[in-house]
Amino acid sequence: MAAARPKTFLSGAQLTWKWQRLVWWVYVVCFILAMFAARGSVDRLAEALDHSVAAQRLVNGFDASAIASLSTLPDAPLQTSYTGSSYFAVIFLVFMLFSTGGILATYVRDEFPSTSVFFEACGYHFWRFFRLMLYLVVALIPVAIVAGIGGAMYNSLDDKMISPFPAVHVFEGTSIVVLFLLMVVRLWFDMAQVIAVFEDEKRMHKALRLAAVVVAKNFFSLFWLYFRISFIGWLLFALGLHVWMMKLAPTSNVLAFIVSQLMILFWIGTRMWQRASEALWYRDYRATQEAMQPVWTPAPTPVIEPAAVPIGPVTT
Amino acid sequence: MRFGRLTCFLAGCLALSATAMGQAAAVAPKPGGATPATTTESNGEKPLSTRIVAYAIDAKLDPKKHTIDATETLEYLNLTGQPQQTFPFHLYLNAFQPQSTFMTEVHRSGTRGNGPGSAWDPLHKGAIDISHLEADGVDLTDKIQFIHPDDDNAQDKTVFQVTLPKPVAPGATVKFSFTFHDLLPEVVERTGYMHDFDMVGQWFPKVGVWWKNAWNCHQFHASTEFFADFGTFDVKITLPKNEVVGAGGDLVDRHDNPDGSMTLHYWSQDVHDFSWAASPSFTRVEDSWTGSGQPVRIVVLISPGNMPSAQRYVQALKGSLTMFDKWYGPYPYDRITLIDPPHGGSDAGGMEYPTLITGDTTWNMPKNILLPEIVTEHEFGHQYWYGMVATNEFEEAWLDEGINSYTEVKVMDALYGKNSFMNFPFAQLSEDGAERAMYLATPDSDPISRLGWKFYSNNSYGSITYGKTATVLLTLEKVIGEDTLREALHTYFMRYRFTHPTGTDFIKTVEEVSGRDLKWYFDQAVYGTQVMDYSVANAHSDLLKWWEPSIGSNPKDEVYRTYVSVKREGDFVFPVDVVVKFDDGSTAAEHWDGQERWTRFQYDRKAKVVSAEIDPQNQVTIDRNFFNNSYTLNADARATHKMRNIFVFASEWVSQLLAWLT
Repeated sequence: MAAARPKTFLSGAQLTWKWQRLVWWVYVVCFILAMFAARGSVDRLAEALDHSVAAQRLVNGFDASAIASLSTLPDAPLQTSYTGSSYFAVIFLVFMLFSTGGILATYVRDEFPSTSVFFEACGYHFWRFFRLMLYLVVALIPVAIVAGIGGAMYNSLDDKMISPFPAVHVFEGTSIVVLFLLMVVRLWFDMAQVIAVFEDEKRMHKALRLAAVVVAKNFFSLFWLYFRISFIGWLLFALGLHVWMMKLAPTSNVLAFIVSQLMILFWIGTRMWQRASEALWYRDYRATQEAMQPVWTPAPTPVIEPAAVPIGPVTT
Repeated sequence: MRFGRLTCFLAGCLALSATAMGQAAAVAPKPGGATPATTTESNGEKPLSTRIVAYAIDAKLDPKKHTIDATETLEYLNLTGQPQQTFPFHLYLNAFQPQSTFMTEVHRSGTRGNGPGSAWDPLHKGAIDISHLEADGVDLTDKIQFIHPDDDNAQDKTVFQVTLPKPVAPGATVKFSFTFHDLLPEVVERTGYMHDFDMVGQWFPKVGVWWKNAWNCHQFHASTEFFADFGTFDVKITLPKNEVVGAGGDLVDRHDNPDGSMTLHYWSQDVHDFSWAASPSFTRVEDSWTGSGQPVRIVVLISPGNMPSAQRYVQALKGSLTMFDKWYGPYPYDRITLIDPPHGGSDAGGMEYPTLITGDTTWNMPKNILLPEIVTEHEFGHQYWYGMVATNEFEEAWLDEGINSYTEVKVMDALYGKNSFMNFPFAQLSEDGAERAMYLATPDSDPISRLGWKFYSNNSYGSITYGKTATVLLTLEKVIGEDTLREALHTYFMRYRFTHPTGTDFIKTVEEVSGRDLKWYFDQAVYGTQVMDYSVANAHSDLLKWWEPSIGSNPKDEVYRTYVSVKREGDFVFPVDVVVKFDDGSTAAEHWDGQERWTRFQYDRKAKVVSAEIDPQNQVTIDRNFFNNSYTLNADARATHKMRNIFVFASEWVSQLLAWLT
């Protein structure tokens, strides 16, 4: 049985670093889409802010009432940003569905294909991963049920108890359970994607079944691999948020931009690190499986010797 | 500080009378005998108010059923100047029924605890049923007649009237006796229960107010509060011994009953309401404060989980007592009680009753969000604007909520600094900014002076009554000066406390103290819906002799003609200051009366314009758009870049979250 050895954890990081162009590519696309999403609102805001002394309320601090008053203006400069973000998030979703095949193919093969081959792999796996995404939505239903049960317990305790803490503890516990389940589901589907690419499996239900078996048999090692990288991602994000919100001077737009974009870059990076680690883990796992099985050798070809031909009658 | 001589004279007179009143306010609690004493009490001290009513209530709480069985005696002193035979009464608890005017309006427009269209929850049912009523010994139970003076809702039972067999002569007293039963609702709006907490407000039959030569006794509406006469309250409450009680009165006796219950006896005078709360889960925190008058006992009853906010409440109370004592007048009572509702019971929070207020917090309230302090200050402020200056909250809600919102800004700024609403490194919110933002949510649906139940929606009521009034008064500081306005409020308080003044009284006081005719301002700000918006439409400089080609000589010799155009975008006319800056460091200050739709300033100088700004001191708070109040020739895109950073990051983050599905 393959284990998520420290080697896999670090090898995955090395692989991600080696093919960091993939991380940069995903980040750049995300950034460009976000710029488009923000453009309408930013242009309108520029009209209101760029030649106004009152804009200092947002430069030398962040006056929440100034934002509130901007949102009440008849030309509504803040309105378009919400819908814009949603549309471009959907476009990014489609982009990631498309790209995942090529990304996984790169990690599985550990060689960067040519551009045409990369995009061929992207397109080759696109509809498979689209179907997998639909399966994922179905797989999330039980998680939603668990969340609903936790929510109902929270409401019930909240109604009955005068102290807020029992309900708060239920909320915390439910959140941990739901987060755990989400991670397990994501891990399962990650492995299904790896199998689909590695084994060129066209049938996603079979890929899911195989992935379920692999994850079940190697749950702790795989989950620990997945969780560690996730934790690093959360930690980096929290650190970045803390620096941005609490430590940077209100006027330092350049530093704020750098910190915020690093947060996104590292978030994407850790996600790719997970994919790379899973791909490496599965490659090692398959190699181990093949080594454990006796090598099949064909049966020796029977030697048919010609029967002796009698010369004459045999006398005594 | 500079005052007009009249103001100095008035201030001096008031200071002398305030000292005398402060001494008179130190009245020991006087239990027993529900006899209105309007002139001199038996101990020789003068009452603070004209005591028209004397309530004596004996109530028993069933904390399991959340019901109260009570008897009430009301002695009403007829000072109307006319014989009175018909008396109206409030039965506020009957508002918590689906067919009431209150619930109908809640369903239509929402209110504090409910959004519009909320389904009816049977737990929210409340009621007050009178099983027996007599007046001077005559049984009038069958004469109870429900009326609906404000609408045509015959199902609304929040007001009834009763006609006596004989009129009560002017100067005479009539004694009403009630037996009634309360059903408290699960708290939905101020009053009710949550878990083992009972907030008991507006719980007894309360007589209307004879005001402006007629009975004033409105139905309970979704966006109205209360109005009652001053008097005394002698209240006995029987409940289980394990209950911890906070009440708007002095505890004068406690008696343990053979059945294991206890009876608490409270006395309160020179107030117009009595409320109380009980819970076995309260933790009691006590402190005291001494100002220009008698010491004040501070009692805070904290619900489970909220202990971290206890000292925040106490400090906010002390700070508010100090600032109100310093700026507006002495606090004459010997106590102030704060009830902290339990989690889930926040609809009982943020409310005021004479000498009792309710707070608002959560178990995890961050220190940088000053919600407990703001609510405490605001509700304490109501002790002045409502409790003592007892305006008609139905008809002129702005006189208590609006003035109180303004003084909230001033007191919070004084106690906690400019960003007293929220103060994080990444975001700040000042009190005046919050009030202005509230106002701008619905700036032009209704005038401030609108009757409380006739606002377009509950949102508009809140936005205009609280936010716009505060913003109007903040802007008024620009006209008459902050110190003058403070003096005006001090005069208004000292002159009208323990009475029922009107908006006209307030405005006249401000005009009197400031020595200014402010009709032009209040007509627009209070009685109109005009919205103010001034803008710098244009500012540019051209060569004076623009038709001659520049010969490239010393540019400093070139003379430029500068035009600065200022427009009045809104309908509110207000004089504004305009400051124009030039690139040689010089400035030009203008004053425009704002009467026309626009004006243009012209300058011929050896300098070009750099910026033009309306109201550079940011005193005209009521202007709806600060961003068009100025124009700078050189663009400064830092604010735009900051917003772009935030929008781009938010979009990227939403994309990443959604990409989790891939």
